[in-house]
Amino acid sequence: METQFIGEHLQYGKLGNVFIILSFTAALVSALSYAFQVFRKNEDPLSWNRLARVSFFIHGCSVSGIIALLYYLIHDHYFEYYYVWQHSSTTLQVKYMWACLWEGQEGSFLVWTFWHVVLSTVIIIRGKDWEAPVMMVMMMIQVFLASMLLGLEFGHIKIGSNPFILLRNQADFANLPFVQMPDYLSKMKDGRGLNPLLQNYWMVIHPPTLFLGFAATAIPFAFAMGGLLTNRVKEWIKPALSWAFFGVGILGIGILMGGAWAYEALSFGGFWAWDPVENASLVPWITLVGAAHVMLINKKNGTSLYSSIILVTATFVLVLYSTFLTRSGILGETSVHAFTDLGMTGQLLLYMAFFTIMAIVLIIVRRKKIKDPNEDEHTSSREFWMFMGMLVLVISAVQVTITTSIPVINKIFGTKMAPPADAIDFYNSWQLPLAVIVALLISVAQYFKWKKSNGKEVTKKLTLSFITALIFAGIIEYYFRFPRVQHVLLLFTSIWAITANLDYFIRVLKGNVKHSGASIAHIGIGFILLGALISNVEKQVISRNMLNVDLGKDFPNNENILLYKGDTLAMGEYYVSYKGKEKEGVNIFYEIEYFKANHTTGKMEKQFSLKPIVQLNNRMGNVSEPATHRFLSKDIYTHITYAELDEDKNKADEDGYKEPKPHMMKEGDTIVASNCMYTFVLLNNNIDKKKYELNDDDLALGAKIKVTDVNKKEYYVEPIFVLRGSTPFTLYDEVEKLGIKFGFSKIDTEKGLMEISVAEKQSNSRDFVIMKAIIFPQINFLWLGCILMFIGSWVAVAKRIKDNNKGIN
Amino acid sequence: MKKIHIIGIVLIAVALAVIVSTVSESSTYVTFGEAQKNEGRTFHVIGKVNLQKDFLYNPETNANLFGFYMADTTGNEVKVMYNGSKPQDFEKAEKIVVVGKMEGQEFHASQVLMKCPSKYNGTEAERTKNLTSSL
Repeated sequence: METQFIGEHLQYGKLGNVFIILSFTAALVSALSYAFQVFRKNEDPLSWNRLARVSFFIHGCSVSGIIALLYYLIHDHYFEYYYVWQHSSTTLQVKYMWACLWEGQEGSFLVWTFWHVVLSTVIIIRGKDWEAPVMMVMMMIQVFLASMLLGLEFGHIKIGSNPFILLRNQADFANLPFVQMPDYLSKMKDGRGLNPLLQNYWMVIHPPTLFLGFAATAIPFAFAMGGLLTNRVKEWIKPALSWAFFGVGILGIGILMGGAWAYEALSFGGFWAWDPVENASLVPWITLVGAAHVMLINKKNGTSLYSSIILVTATFVLVLYSTFLTRSGILGETSVHAFTDLGMTGQLLLYMAFFTIMAIVLIIVRRKKIKDPNEDEHTSSREFWMFMGMLVLVISAVQVTITTSIPVINKIFGTKMAPPADAIDFYNSWQLPLAVIVALLISVAQYFKWKKSNGKEVTKKLTLSFITALIFAGIIEYYFRFPRVQHVLLLFTSIWAITANLDYFIRVLKGNVKHSGASIAHIGIGFILLGALISNVEKQVISRNMLNVDLGKDFPNNENILLYKGDTLAMGEYYVSYKGKEKEGVNIFYEIEYFKANHTTGKMEKQFSLKPIVQLNNRMGNVSEPATHRFLSKDIYTHITYAELDEDKNKADEDGYKEPKPHMMKEGDTIVASNCMYTFVLLNNNIDKKKYELNDDDLALGAKIKVTDVNKKEYYVEPIFVLRGSTPFTLYDEVEKLGIKFGFSKIDTEKGLMEISVAEKQSNSRDFVIMKAIIFPQINFLWLGCILMFIGSWVAVAKRIKDNNKGIN
Repeated sequence: MKKIHIIGIVLIAVALAVIVSTVSESSTYVTFGEAQKNEGRTFHVIGKVNLQKDFLYNPETNANLFGFYMADTTGNEVKVMYNGSKPQDFEKAEKIVVVGKMEGQEFHASQVLMKCPSKYNGTEAERTKNLTSSL
């Protein structure tokens, strides 16, 4: 007999499943209809178009419906749904409910699908004769994405993972007797909740921005494929260009938001750690920047068509590869931030293979038409240097991809390679010289004219910015003294990128913002490189502990300091003091005050206080969240690396005593404890056995101990050693006020020593933290650069859109 | 020479350089035994922490030195010294990766990476408990 479960709301799940199937089939119908519109021109293309648009509309509504339903289920805490149970809880604040939606893989695929729908709508409205071929490709992508939610299983093959699966049907729980009970739901008090680590406003804005960036890479790809399909191998570039710059801006800002999150809330110890998950989204951005630039070249002089097509394809495929890396569980040992495998690896690979092969086939079919004009670019032309820039970007992308793909290489070839021991250093040693070249090209390329330019004129125009950059770089170098030559080179070239583009903006473009997208974005890149360089190379760990025994030069161990509550220690130019802690929900706040000595008065003056957090997190393990004090010229980053948490106190017994420690003492010996000292006064062999309820034939000895507290107040205790038959044991005696107890556990008759066991209450031990503090100088250049780059990209997008409109008129 | 040829040559050369440098710079996942044979070279070792044995951590004397016993995948147990503070929640790590080198009988780790139980896959009793417990 079927069990009748009480309290479930199955209608929502049923509706959700209808939406899922509808979104998949409607996408398929739409893709096919667009294909008919493209290829069967003489068969009433308009009716195909109508069918395609209607099914797109159904697809879009279904996707929105799935999101709305899932949000509703999370909002109203319907824990009979596994996804809701897994990602949310009743205690969750409403603002984080959206974050629950995209915490899981199914939800993040949904967001991605949703952005495709939004961008596709723009294509339908504005695409004109590009609508059919571009939308055909977009809807093919949607078919694949929608299939990620199907949740169908054929034997071992699993297609997608359904977000509406019921908890009692989910593989991990299906066979539990608990979920067979009709009223199981009433016994479930709460969901597992959103990982506290992710309860952060960045989790609300970073993933949707990044996915919008991912979605934006699909459009230039769809244009390129649509162009090849309809034999307009060149014409696609113009309408796709604004999309490419849109992608550069959005994806860039999405990645940097991730960096800002890592810097602000996660303990990566910086804003960029070359973590595989970070790299996976950086690489498509780099190739997209390359793609956008060669597309510009093509628009100007018709060359670089191959590179344009290859790069937009590579960008899109790399976005798929990035989802494969982060979702297949393959990163396992190399990143702690990857999703776990939901068994969709095969599906993701198929998806990648399909679009790669489609692009290759189309390029081969159209190879004769794609062929570049025979003339080669002149070395004094702008396009030549832009092309070189693209090559450098590709090299950079290749290096990051190969190193990040080590786990994939291991999987394919069965090798046992591990990432380089100092991965950050390895990436930097490759990327730094490349960044120097990129910065150099950013500085000079704009001054070359298209086709051919006069060398003397270029040199003349560049002189001012060159000299200014030299002066600024000199001042900064004088102040910081960078350790390596390539640092100095990057310092100079990134400043030159700023001054040269600023100069271009002022003297060449006469401050016309509308035409200055490139200049503004390039100034932004200059600032990003400059900020990254200074804050990284010149970062200073000020929490150096000079007292510790070192384990040798290769094994430095002094980056953390121990700070007792109430103590003040010198740290860099500051003095720090640990004031105490406070628990609020899952977070423990540690208050650290920073002081500076006033040299005239000799007094300590409080500068600021920081509250780094240790978060008690059952799912990810306790995590510590740094706190940062921001100055205009530097950040002071403070981070608890170790603290004794309340949970660690489980070693204490029920009265709160820690495990007793034995001390060998003789009469007259004194030992210091944390809040008192105690003296062994004398051995008493005249014990009143009745009083202690001992047997007459027990052997009993007392140890008279004097305990003196910090106020010189004296207490007396007498722990007793008992030998019953041949079994020794002790009767403890305590000073309750001081939280200390004494036992008399052994007698060493040979040496005349008594073993006194002393146990102190846990609360006696002084509270302390171990912390790390880092100064990041000039990190604000980096954030300024991010904002400028974003603004610049938007200005460029706006200009392209305007140009396109003019072209149509 | 045409541009496309230059691209081809440059890209192939760089790709080769990247592969060579990645392979030569990359570390290897090994067992303690293999690390012992190549004393002084840096390796990655995967294994489990022995929770029965005490951790060697006394922050009040040295906050930057943390020692523990860890068994590699073959079960070979070695004392690991890490030159940092004890990672938060170290006891809960299911599996850890240490990066460093053997020095005599000790493994000196410069990095300790922990893999925490992120996905739920406990025993039946734990799963039921997890369902009914209010966090």
